[in-house]
Amino acid sequence: MSDSSRPPVAIERTFHRFTYSQRWEHLILLAAFTVLLLTGLPQKYRASEWSQWLLSTPERVILFRQIHHIAALVLTAEVIYHLGKAIYLAARRRLSGAIFPTMQDGRDFVQMMAFLFFLSRKKPAFGKYNFEQKFTYWFLFFGIGIMVISGFILWFPEVITIVLPGGVIPAALLAHSNEAVIAVIFIIIWHFYHVHFERLNLSIFTGRLSEREMRAYHAAEFENLTGEPADWSVPEQAPTQTGGQPGGVS
Amino acid sequence: MPRHIAILTPFLILIMLGLVVWQTDAPYARAAPILQETPSGGPAPTAQETPSAPPPTPIPAQNLSLSDEYCLGCHGQPGQTYELQNGEQLDLYVDPVVHQASVHGEQGYACVQCHADVGEYPHPPFQAADRREVTLKLNAVCQRCHSHQFELAEDDAHAAAQAAGIREAAVCVDCHTAHEVRRLTDPETHELLPETRQWIPERCALCHSAIYEKYHDSVHGSALSAGNPDVPTCIDCHGVHNIEDPTTAHFRLQSPRICADCHTDPHIMDKYGISTNVLDTYVADFHGTTVAIFEKQSPDAEVNKAVCYDCHGVHDISSPSDPETGIEMKSNLLVRCQTCHPDANENFPSSWMSHYVPSAENYRVVYWVNKFYAFFIPAVLGSMGALVVLDASRAAIERRKRRRSASEPSGAIIVETSADASPVTDSTSPDQPAGGSADDESAPTDSNSPTEDSHG
Repeated sequence: MSDSSRPPVAIERTFHRFTYSQRWEHLILLAAFTVLLLTGLPQKYRASEWSQWLLSTPERVILFRQIHHIAALVLTAEVIYHLGKAIYLAARRRLSGAIFPTMQDGRDFVQMMAFLFFLSRKKPAFGKYNFEQKFTYWFLFFGIGIMVISGFILWFPEVITIVLPGGVIPAALLAHSNEAVIAVIFIIIWHFYHVHFERLNLSIFTGRLSEREMRAYHAAEFENLTGEPADWSVPEQAPTQTGGQPGGVS
Repeated sequence: MPRHIAILTPFLILIMLGLVVWQTDAPYARAAPILQETPSGGPAPTAQETPSAPPPTPIPAQNLSLSDEYCLGCHGQPGQTYELQNGEQLDLYVDPVVHQASVHGEQGYACVQCHADVGEYPHPPFQAADRREVTLKLNAVCQRCHSHQFELAEDDAHAAAQAAGIREAAVCVDCHTAHEVRRLTDPETHELLPETRQWIPERCALCHSAIYEKYHDSVHGSALSAGNPDVPTCIDCHGVHNIEDPTTAHFRLQSPRICADCHTDPHIMDKYGISTNVLDTYVADFHGTTVAIFEKQSPDAEVNKAVCYDCHGVHDISSPSDPETGIEMKSNLLVRCQTCHPDANENFPSSWMSHYVPSAENYRVVYWVNKFYAFFIPAVLGSMGALVVLDASRAAIERRKRRRSASEPSGAIIVETSADASPVTDSTSPDQPAGGSADDESAPTDSNSPTEDSHG
């Protein structure tokens, strides 16, 4: 067919971002996190009316606690899988270092601050994970670590006190309940802002980023992968939506 | 995108505000002491029962059809007995001196005001199978004057036992006696007389002797024997007349309130240097939170969480600092813990903060964890919030700027980055395989990248 017989066509390239495993990990984390919050917050805010309405009988408390424990086991299994996989890959020199903080993140942060305070017109060109995303990962990494450890201390106080002094149990209780609040605040303010508000970023579910997103938000990574400049003066036509077929032709 | 934001923003702001509000209502006291707000439905603290009706003014004996002398003509002679249907001998003798000394005698109540159904001599024979039945039958006359107390007693554990066929269960005269009824309260204040407080355990001990022995040696009982008016006697915890069955789940759940009545009262506790914080600290902990809430929500629920007496003892309560039995000694407390936590070892008891509020001196780890989060939560909230607000407003400004300049390519996201300055004008070749870089993990690098199909 000749070009003139058809409307202008744009090709949208997509870029692989997350593996199947990572996408599943995120889904499971999301589910476990939600269940843990829904069953945990009523236990924390026992002074409030809604909590007492939910947990009005010992049977309900036991039920909530059991659901909480099951979700906790799922999350723990995921943590073990995540760490185990990282160790496995590291042992074979195949672990990507992309998520680890580097000096570049510090420079990006400074550049970002300059941009936010109108000292610069340019945002930093980010790599695969920008410093905000790295911060999200590591904040939750350690947060979940605290939650898992303190959670098991609370679950098995008799076992824990065989080796540790009894004071760790009330300390773990405080840490568990405060860290939970931090996690919620963090997810809502920080994570939701970046993936829903700043732009709708569904790459953790689809596994891909579009070329437009790559150029705009991961310019350094884009240039690294393609060798092309990330600046959008290049294409003649604006790419249009590809209708859900990644990498397809519209 | 803007609609997306418009829908989500109010929700998120609400959730965040809610979280902040909860978090700021005191990080430590998780459950407010619930006990204060509920009206005391438990046992009455003391015997200050408001008399529902003033006792009828004594009718002078000479106006009665039968004077006491008339009765005492027979019943004043020692050794008078009457054989009941089962062969038991009922003593018919009444010592007029003893009766005169009783509260009824003092006020001039006559025999026939209680024994109203006797009539002229010879009065009809009294029909009763045995001595207990005599007591139970005659006991009913108390309600003629003391109807309030009598009605209360119809709801108590003894009445329930009577109804269940346990005839030994106490009725009025078992505690108060028939003809030697004592004055128990001050007529002016209706407060218990000091000697009454010591008399009460002795009356209960007539049946509950094993419990009396424990109580007598306890920190409360021994102080009571020494004449201390502050310590509880039986009825302060169990109530008077409407004594509740203390073996029910309900009693267990509301029992902390009984202890708290005195132990949160600084007027009493300051004398002995005892903290009035004991209830709040209990309610702030696992066990207490659950107990306090179920006490409100489902007062009849079986709850296996420890209440005051599970650790401090029921009747054999000793001072925590008692050198032998005090639970300040972890080994003594451990025994209590092991009742519910059989695997607990000697480290375990200190997981209970012993009614302390964590401070730089007591439970330092807990204190510092708390302090850390008191700082960390606002710090995270504040800095994250500030960054997000900055970022959002900067983005909004950029967007408006773009909209003004009409020359932008429609649909493209324009984010100026420092990636490169020189635009390259090569518009072809979008199909370079984007492989090679140290992509994350073992994923096949970019299996689904630029699948490209040039038109035509």
